[in-house]
Amino acid sequence: MDLISSLAVITLAALIHASFQLSVSVLLLLSGHSLGSRHSHLRLMRLTTSFVIGAGTMTALLLTFVSFVLQNLFGSDAPQIVWAMACGIMFGVAVSVWLFYYRHEKGTTTWLPRNIADYLSHRTKATKLSGEAFGLGLTSVIGELLFILAPIGASALALIQLPGAWKLVGVAIYVIISMLSLILVWVLIGGGRKIADVQRWRETNKNFLQFSAGAGLLILGIFMYTTQIAGLNLVIK
Amino acid sequence: MNLAVDIVKRGNKRRSEAFDCAKLRRSIMATCHSLKTPEGQSHMIADAVCSHVIDWLENRPEVTSDDLRLVAARHLKIHHPEAAYIYEQHHMII
Repeated sequence: MDLISSLAVITLAALIHASFQLSVSVLLLLSGHSLGSRHSHLRLMRLTTSFVIGAGTMTALLLTFVSFVLQNLFGSDAPQIVWAMACGIMFGVAVSVWLFYYRHEKGTTTWLPRNIADYLSHRTKATKLSGEAFGLGLTSVIGELLFILAPIGASALALIQLPGAWKLVGVAIYVIISMLSLILVWVLIGGGRKIADVQRWRETNKNFLQFSAGAGLLILGIFMYTTQIAGLNLVIK
Repeated sequence: MNLAVDIVKRGNKRRSEAFDCAKLRRSIMATCHSLKTPEGQSHMIADAVCSHVIDWLENRPEVTSDDLRLVAARHLKIHHPEAAYIYEQHHMII
């Protein structure tokens, strides 16, 4: 895979990651509790900024960890069987996103088991310090691991093929793009937009987000299959 | 004002507790604050909603917390539709 294709895979995978909503939900709850407790705007911004930094840190750590493992196992070029497995995971996760990501009920409740959602909600309410908000950001990314592992895995496979410093560029691109939805909500809340407006938009468009995440995974899987598996077969013929 | 009404918690996982008007008032106030509603208006809304809920609770020895939330949201909607939306959505965000 050439440089442009690798960066394209990383960008698409990061966009798919950005359409997953657990971190946004937790950020919205955190803002609601902070505003409801009549904390100052400065404190609200401190908590939400720490949360966003926490989520970004965990995303970067996960991506670099998976890349490190893959690089040590396969060097800079993973074998076809690994790409085939990655494609299979993409298709499986795409269908899972379409079927399970949002529950078929009011609001934006996700697939997350209710006891974990209640725990996250409870922890969000109890968060008073920047350090706690940072930890909550880390946890919110871990909570969604089941779905984000697919785009992270695809990005890691593309990353290990990149030369030297481009690896860092790839990680930066992934983290920034995957955080776009979170950063947008953070900016809106910081700018004084009501959380009801943000939540209403999310509720109205949740089916579109769910569809686009699944479709994105499917497209990424097909692209990886044609370039890494079918493409090589054509060369052999 | 506290009535002798038992509130059965969500999913029946926790022990039921007695109705606490102050707790309901705090949650309404917090919702109004989260939408930057002025303090005086928030107090008025919380008082109005609490009084409606107390009327509804008369002759009911036991209600679920979900029912209580639903009734409070219904009355809150009359005074502040956005706050009612957030109040309803609170357990449906994650």
